[in-house]
Amino acid sequence: MPRRRRWTDELLTRRSPLIDMAQFVVLAGALIWLGMRGAQSMGYNWQWYRVPQYLYRVIDGEFIKGPLLKGLIVTLEISAYSLAITLIIGLITALLRLSQSFAGRIIARTYLEIIRNTPLLVQLFLFYFVLSPVLGIDRFWTGVLCLAFFEGSFAAEIIRAGILSVPRGQWEAGSSIGLTRFDLYRDIVLPQAIQLMLPPLTGLAVNLIKHSAIVSVIAVFDLTTEGRNVISDTFMSFEIWFAVAAIYLAFTCTLSALVSLLEHRLARSRR
Amino acid sequence: MISPHGYRRPRVGWLDLVIIALAVAVVAYFAYRVDSVLHYRWNWPRVTQFLVRWDDERQRWVANLLVEGLLTTLRLSIWGIIFATVIGTIMGLCRISRKLFPRLLSRSYVELIRNIPPLVFMFIFYFFISSQIMPLLGIEAWVRRASPGSLAVIEVLFGQPRLMGNFVSGLICLALFEGAYVTEIVRAGIQSIPKGQWEAAQSVGLSRLQVMRDVILPQALQRVVPPLAGQLITLIKTSSIVSLISVQELTFLAGEVANTTAKPFEAWIIAAAMYFVVCFVLSVAFSRLEQRLAEAQR
Repeated sequence: MPRRRRWTDELLTRRSPLIDMAQFVVLAGALIWLGMRGAQSMGYNWQWYRVPQYLYRVIDGEFIKGPLLKGLIVTLEISAYSLAITLIIGLITALLRLSQSFAGRIIARTYLEIIRNTPLLVQLFLFYFVLSPVLGIDRFWTGVLCLAFFEGSFAAEIIRAGILSVPRGQWEAGSSIGLTRFDLYRDIVLPQAIQLMLPPLTGLAVNLIKHSAIVSVIAVFDLTTEGRNVISDTFMSFEIWFAVAAIYLAFTCTLSALVSLLEHRLARSRR
Repeated sequence: MISPHGYRRPRVGWLDLVIIALAVAVVAYFAYRVDSVLHYRWNWPRVTQFLVRWDDERQRWVANLLVEGLLTTLRLSIWGIIFATVIGTIMGLCRISRKLFPRLLSRSYVELIRNIPPLVFMFIFYFFISSQIMPLLGIEAWVRRASPGSLAVIEVLFGQPRLMGNFVSGLICLALFEGAYVTEIVRAGIQSIPKGQWEAAQSVGLSRLQVMRDVILPQALQRVVPPLAGQLITLIKTSSIVSLISVQELTFLAGEVANTTAKPFEAWIIAAAMYFVVCFVLSVAFSRLEQRLAEAQR
């Protein structure tokens, strides 16, 4: 085990894991059975066979995207655009917080406190009902901007921590050979800080995909909205919600696995 | 001094001037767009009247929609953190159990909830809870039979009795959701207790249960309290999401006020400000308390 050993590890039993796995399977089976029975008592008609056509269809050898797949693409688009803007906002905020300018620090602090102390949903409504008519931006970009400003507050702290973790000697050495502050950041500090920032920033991408579901509230056609539309057309609430959740899970779990891989690598390279 | 590690003397530099100029420009552009392009007429009293109102019958000020919503949000959050702590403690103990089965159980609970969008979780669970669990609990029938005295108690604890069913289903969703995060807090708290404590307790002959109950848990709980307080603030924010399943808390009622007054700017700004004040005050208070505790322990 590459993981650091904790004292609770010593409490682990030597019993065969098969028994426990069997217990787990039985419990999961029982839960599924209970759910199915509950659905049946409601007169729910399971129609799993109808789900794939809402993902994609092949007609005459031609691949046609279904609503869920289209929604997934929009979700990924939103996440990608907001991730890019998040990084810019985060970097600017982090640099302002570390800068010598008092106005910069005040603005960065105000931004962070406002974002941290209000719910994402209320921020979305503020963006949608206030900012979007004032600036004349459409729903898609309203959603992207709102998510970017929200995640930007987390990115700022990650980037700031990364920058501060670069040893002081590096700064002093850089400035003693006559680098300007800009060159110092670009050539010495940020390249070293990025290594440290990479795992938490990937975690941020996971959060971004998760939180992007909230734009369905302002009727951006992402995966969640498309799922709700399909449900109102077909009344297959359970099947479609489970399918939607599974799609989200597939993406977030893959990225989460990447995070632990990166952390693992980092821990090894530092040893 | 060029590194950000050291002390900085406050002075006005060129960057300050640029930033101030930018900020002023942004505010001015906003004001211009709102006033000359949208022709929006600000009318704050139209919305602030929904904060509190004068009750003629009772001859006193009573909470109107917005303050009512804030109270519901706070009730949801406090009950939510209590139930989430219960779930989180049980699951956190499972997480470090000797047996694989409880570990599998709690691990899949935590991972499932942390990797599904909260919105999707709420919709799936609300559907399930409102159709399956609520009839089973029989809360609505219970409220209907309650005496006037207990109704008054219910009103203080859960808000308006006629909305109790709605409140409880939102609460169950929130507690299950936050429970996953509390699980990790509890696990980290227990694992932060030094190994020596465990060994010392075992060497004086305590059983495993006694070690957990008398030695490890009391110390772990102490360490768990600060992150739990932070989780309460997170919960206040997360609770806004139950407005989408029609629980009548602050976000839901702010939407109602925005619709009825046709003043969305004021309504949403006030709602955001209310959340901000509550969360900000709590976070400042908690960090003060934490500092004082840390000093007292030294």
